[in-house]
Amino acid sequence: MSVGRFLVRRLLLVLPLLLGVLFFTFMLVRLSGQDPTAKIAGPTATAAEIELVRAQLGLDQPLFTQFLIYLGRVVQADLGRSWVSQQPVLQDVLERVPVTLELLLWGVGIGALVGIPVGLRAAFRPDGAFDQISRFVSLLGFSTPTYWLGLVMLLVFFYLLDLAPPGMGRLSLMLSPPPRITGSYLIDGVIAGDLEAAHSAFAQLVLPVLCIAIISAAPIIKQTRAITLEVLASDYIRYARAQGLEPAMIRRMALRNAATPVVTFLGTELTGLVGTTALIEYVFAWGGLGQWGLNAIITGDFAAVQGYVLALALFSVIVFLLVDLAVLLLEPRAGTRA
Amino acid sequence: MATPLLDVRDLHTHFIARNLDNEIRTARALNGVSFSLDGGKILGLVGETGAGKSLTALSVMGLLRPPARVVAGQVLFEGRDLIAMPPEEVNRLRGARMAMVVQSPKSSLDPLSRIGEQLVRVQRAHDPALGQAEATARAVAMLEAVGIPDPQRRARAWPHELSGGMAQRVLIALALVNQPRLLIADEPTTGLDVTVQAQILDLFRELVLANGIGAIIITHDLGVVAHYCDDVAVMFAGTIIEHGPVAAVFGQPAHPYTRALIASTPERLVIGRTRTTGAPPPNLYALPTGCLYRDRCPHAAPDCAEPPPGRAMGAGHIAHCHFAGRLAEHAA
Ligand SMILES: Nc1ncnc2c1ncn2[C@@H]1O[C@H](COP(=O)(O)OP(=O)(O)OP(=O)(O)O)[C@@H](O)[C@H]1O
Ligand code: SF4
Ligand SMILES: [Mg+2]
Repeated sequence: MSVGRFLVRRLLLVLPLLLGVLFFTFMLVRLSGQDPTAKIAGPTATAAEIELVRAQLGLDQPLFTQFLIYLGRVVQADLGRSWVSQQPVLQDVLERVPVTLELLLWGVGIGALVGIPVGLRAAFRPDGAFDQISRFVSLLGFSTPTYWLGLVMLLVFFYLLDLAPPGMGRLSLMLSPPPRITGSYLIDGVIAGDLEAAHSAFAQLVLPVLCIAIISAAPIIKQTRAITLEVLASDYIRYARAQGLEPAMIRRMALRNAATPVVTFLGTELTGLVGTTALIEYVFAWGGLGQWGLNAIITGDFAAVQGYVLALALFSVIVFLLVDLAVLLLEPRAGTRA
Repeated sequence: MATPLLDVRDLHTHFIARNLDNEIRTARALNGVSFSLDGGKILGLVGETGAGKSLTALSVMGLLRPPARVVAGQVLFEGRDLIAMPPEEVNRLRGARMAMVVQSPKSSLDPLSRIGEQLVRVQRAHDPALGQAEATARAVAMLEAVGIPDPQRRARAWPHELSGGMAQRVLIALALVNQPRLLIADEPTTGLDVTVQAQILDLFRELVLANGIGAIIITHDLGVVAHYCDDVAVMFAGTIIEHGPVAAVFGQPAHPYTRALIASTPERLVIGRTRTTGAPPPNLYALPTGCLYRDRCPHAAPDCAEPPPGRAMGAGHIAHCHFAGRLAEHAA
């Protein structure tokens, strides 16, 4: 199957999925019992004024009509306006996506870079000293509450050791951000040659990225180990031994066969950690999509909540698309599957 | 007499592990297995589930994984003791001089390599000097020899594209491509449908005889033994309790267990996965002294508390029972 056909088929699958996501979020938000009209109209508004606001927002229409209107706008890339910031939601989302991605990708990337080799090594010598230690460490990672980890990091590295800057955003307050290209201050700083900004952005990144790396490494270690153990116990590895293949070759065979499930798991992990990242963003005042989305939920900012969920859904779709493409590359035989 | 191809002498394999109280516990899974095999002969290894048939194969091939370990005995392959040999050296023999065919062919092939590549890989692993082109040609020829149609094209197939029967043929090709002297097949046709079973076994026998290979077929199917094997060895609780030429053992079974086995499988002579006589097998952690079949044997007598010696019942036919040959014919 060609990559092109694969993409087309995948997109056809994704559209109904996204439609479902839109519908359910829309209904959930409407039925959540929150009513922003009174807040928008202000404390002194009369009942008539509130009704007027309601009509302006289209909230007086039947629910399904509201959904159709909303859908019609979404198709034209209009996600509505946040009544909190008064900005178009799309703009808010686009501004914040790279901010969160920066945190998430560095964090999970480092978590994977550490977690995968550790998991592999543990699996190749199960119950050895290395395995025991890595299992203990990974258990620690599992049992650490995200929020608490962030606070402890700040306490230790900022307050006690003074090695890290305070957790107050993505750049030192003394500096102004570099011109926006990617949305990551670190990368934009480097591109613009503004090394001072890049350095500050890097320093701000270290602790939150470390938190996410720690939190993501634990399950990555555990899964990589489990997947590899399963491969090593498989019939084909046993039969490879029966064929007298050299240990190095058998190891390579095992790695190749473990790659697909590990990559697939990384995809799950990446999408699953978006929620965790939101908490880390709170602790470090990061101001990314996660923090913004949580705020939207708390304030009952309908359009923003819907935009947030849509962004998450799109993110998952893209991640799994990339995972599938990676699998297609990793597994030559995938092309011959029906 | 010339050295046999394979001479297994008094092989003991134990599972030695610690339990939760950190006490060492030993499951005595093989308790003195002895048999020998010549080139050009096929030996059938039968016995109820858990008797130690697969474990015998793995012990011979040096494929045991902890906690299983050979604790005593010899495996003389072409006169050299595999048990005493360094593992790397055994690894070089495995897949080359001695090969194995296993029960689940589809899952035993590397899912990510084309079958031609796998055939090339096993050749070059044992003969690094062999060129790619030559190995590929041999691979295709081998696929043809095991009756795979259109071998040129099939060499490019992935394992998941094969049927169970085709996969088993590929496994036989893998086992034979390096021209081994010894071939062990552990339930090679379990899970295949009956006509395919017969085809595979016909092919197996033909190739084994044509190449003068010594082969062991492990099976639950006494019919397979009767049709395809020259000799048979009957296992019980990690020992061979009776062995000899198929006609002699099946014609005049001398050990009560062999008789029970044959009596319980009259039609196609298939030993079911369930116990033949309903009784549990002996506890490998606490084996009785003397005859291990004692608890289930209808003829057990005080003498049976002593280990039974091997009694010769005729040319090459030996039964390990105190009363072998002295039991009434109808008493099975
Ligand atoms: N880890 C273990 N610890 C203790 N005993 C074990 C362990 N693994 C296997 N055994 C025992 O080893 C014995 C030999 O098993 P083996 O697989 O050789 O039987 P088999 O004759 O091939 O049976 P089947 O016909 O079902 O394939 C069994 O009785 C089993 O209970
Ligand atoms: S030795 Fe005794 S117990 Fe064992 S099989 Fe013979 S008669 Fe039965
Ligand atoms: Mg078995």
